[in-house]
Amino acid sequence: MKVKPSEYLREIKPVLLKLRTRLLQEFPYVSLLAQDSTAKNYSVSKTSTMIRMDNRLSGRGFVAKVYDGAGYAEYSFNELSEEKIEEVVAAIKSKLIPMSDKLPDGVKKSCYAMIEDEPVIFADSTDYEIDPEEYGDEKIIAQLEEVSKAGRAYSDKILDCRTHVSYQKYSKLFLSKNRDMEQNVLWMSGALTVMATRGEEVKDSYKGFSVLGGAELLQEIGKNVSKVAQTALDLLESEPITPGEYDCVCDPGVTGMIVHEAFGHGVEMDMFVKDRAQAKQFVGKQVASPLICMHDGAGAAREVASYFFDDEGVLAHDTLIIDHGILKAGISDAQSAMHLGTEPTGNGRRESYQRKAYTRMTNTYFEAGSDKVEDMIASISDGFLLEEAMSGMEDPKNWGIQCMVSIAREIKDGKLTGKIYSPIVLTGYVPDLLKSISMVSDTSTLCGSGFCGKGYKEWVKVSDGGPYIKAKIRLG
Amino acid sequence: MVDRILDALKKCGIDTWQIVVTEEESAELFFIKKELDMQRCQKVKTADVAVFCEFTEGENHCLGTASVQVQESLTDEEICKLLQDAYYAAGFVKNKYYELYKGTKEEFVEVASTLTEKSLTEIVQGFAKALFAEDHREDVFLNSAEIFAYRYVNHILNSRGVDVAYRKSRVQGEFVVQCIDGQDVETYQNFAYDNWNTDALREKVRAAIEMTSARAKAVSAPAAGEYRVILSGSYVEDFLSYYISRASSSMIYPKYSTFSVGCDVQGSETAKDRINLTMKASVPYSDEGIPMKDKELVKDGKLELIHGGNRFAQYLGIEPTGVFQRCYAPAGKISLEELKAEPYLEVVNFSDFQMDSFTGHFGGEIRLAFLYDGEKVTPVTGGSINGNIFEAQKTLVFSKEMQVEKSFEGPKAVCMDKVSVAGA
Repeated sequence: MKVKPSEYLREIKPVLLKLRTRLLQEFPYVSLLAQDSTAKNYSVSKTSTMIRMDNRLSGRGFVAKVYDGAGYAEYSFNELSEEKIEEVVAAIKSKLIPMSDKLPDGVKKSCYAMIEDEPVIFADSTDYEIDPEEYGDEKIIAQLEEVSKAGRAYSDKILDCRTHVSYQKYSKLFLSKNRDMEQNVLWMSGALTVMATRGEEVKDSYKGFSVLGGAELLQEIGKNVSKVAQTALDLLESEPITPGEYDCVCDPGVTGMIVHEAFGHGVEMDMFVKDRAQAKQFVGKQVASPLICMHDGAGAAREVASYFFDDEGVLAHDTLIIDHGILKAGISDAQSAMHLGTEPTGNGRRESYQRKAYTRMTNTYFEAGSDKVEDMIASISDGFLLEEAMSGMEDPKNWGIQCMVSIAREIKDGKLTGKIYSPIVLTGYVPDLLKSISMVSDTSTLCGSGFCGKGYKEWVKVSDGGPYIKAKIRLG
Repeated sequence: MVDRILDALKKCGIDTWQIVVTEEESAELFFIKKELDMQRCQKVKTADVAVFCEFTEGENHCLGTASVQVQESLTDEEICKLLQDAYYAAGFVKNKYYELYKGTKEEFVEVASTLTEKSLTEIVQGFAKALFAEDHREDVFLNSAEIFAYRYVNHILNSRGVDVAYRKSRVQGEFVVQCIDGQDVETYQNFAYDNWNTDALREKVRAAIEMTSARAKAVSAPAAGEYRVILSGSYVEDFLSYYISRASSSMIYPKYSTFSVGCDVQGSETAKDRINLTMKASVPYSDEGIPMKDKELVKDGKLELIHGGNRFAQYLGIEPTGVFQRCYAPAGKISLEELKAEPYLEVVNFSDFQMDSFTGHFGGEIRLAFLYDGEKVTPVTGGSINGNIFEAQKTLVFSKEMQVEKSFEGPKAVCMDKVSVAGA
């Protein structure tokens, strides 16, 4: 089934076209982005059930972007009618544009060329199997309750089993003088967290799920309860690791965290504009093992960050970032691409209509290789299998790794011993880690259960992943 | 908008509800080096409407809730449909029964601030001037910055009489300082002020410039081992967040936290400083309409208060405090100079510091630290801290010097013994 277009955007489009015409009388370039989005969160735990609309992702709103002959300025608003067109124009002329009149001493306004605005007419929707709105809140909550109960019943040491799912169904309209683009997208994601306790200490195990689609995702969550609950119990027996450099096998989630946090943020080309990314000096050079090919793009995979065009009206791409270890290209929003004299790659994304567009990742992953996971484990005499990516932070400037995982399963003489170490901090220099990759498994998995921030804000839905990889990593 | 929502609630026969209407305007400036790259402003109005459904299931008396976002662009029919669907959904939310917070209609509150008299454009321009005032070196400089000035009105109503509103202004943002003297390095800082604190921002930029300059001289990671660690700056707040999180009713009621009023949050083996914390009100009313007042949370290591919103407070049989956004910790007795008389590893910048309020684990990769081996101080970078609060809290020592951050006022530094560091 295809996601249906928004009735509201269809009704408001004539007003948007009038606003575009009116603004083009004042400015040489104008674009309008309109959004109509419904996003809902559901969660169930031992003591709490929640159904609420996600205020950050939901809503109807607009961004008007104008070019004044030198630079770009934006006005976000969420009330529009024919009568309010002049009010919007007046706000842009009298409030927005004068903001740059009094800049600090020594600071000037950037000078950009006008966006070329090649003609594009486009409309498309993503597919789904089960519409969560039609499936209904009752069934969604009932399924989450069932999973939560099963998790809590697994052992008397289980403190709680929290399950949650979210979905966003959005329609976007992009209008400029020469562009008229429409897209309708639905994704759903969720997670299962089981907490086990021993005295003051609480350990938890987590598994995320995601789909570019709808409530068909719910079937996946229940299948994993026992495994996640057992891991939470195992974590109660875990110990801190002895710091050092080890041979490691990373599961696809940990691979994804390395791809996204350690490397992906470094090839967001707004960081090139600011001279904040070391990757800028490494284009055309080896940054990873020849076994590694890395992609990013809303068109690179069918996952939660897939779309047809970005928030600046640029069509989705599949960007080959690393080709057999050689850094080929970065990803960019339209304004950064103009600054650098490159082509935009469809990565200009906004948290919502209320926020600025930045260069953002979408679906980011390593291609699969040819090794079997069991052979990878068998090849390690003294090392770890790393599982459950917890968190990571980018460091594009210095390519320092800052990633945490929950579980390091000990490998001795090619076999898992059953001993677990936790929590684990991964550190080191990104290219050292990527160049040390010596084996890559033959399947690649993506997941997009979370959001990605730019620094500590601007949250957008992303997916990441890849195959199991074997590498030398400094653990602490 | 409120009248339309109230009409719709009445039409749908929903008699238990809460509405939070937010009107927000902003002015935003985005800089790359010494150029303004983008200017933005916004004007939006939204309402968050929660509807409640009372029912029994077996022997359980329940109050379910579901919430929706309402905008002016919705038709009356669309608003009704949204609320009806939400009310139907609330019937499946089997939360133990509680009552909404009871209140009255109160006078509109203009939150006192020196930002109030200025336009949003004047605010961003004034803070931009402060931001660049210390940026005059060629070797270390502002790489990029973002400034956001907000003015918003929150109007909170519920079906038990709450009808309160306030207006507040704030300015916030972030900046990156780059140093190209020797190594090419950077550090990230954020800021938020409720008043015209341009001097504080200027001082923050000056300190960041110094810190980034020091980071450029740091070439190696500390050796792996255990260190007497000093955390400073915003990491003191992050460290103390463990106690605030564990003392919240939403953690205590489900038994995720074993804290209770009167318990020793620091454990019985505390050898050095005891923890003191006060929760500070930063808005006149919480999002449930609860009047916010300063409350003492921890006194000499003993828990004085369980804090949080209305629902879990009722379950626990305590007074709701509302959800706090700011806290205060008093100064310690020892100066930073005295703290640094013995060997230490002072971490002033992590790539991302994490404090896990479930496991008590804390840590992160070291962007910049100063290592004193008893003879000389060496800037170091790389490696990571990997500690646990259950051990660390036995040996805490807070500095006499204080800091004021966006959501924290307290000691500039906290010191703890025998913290594991994964080094070079």
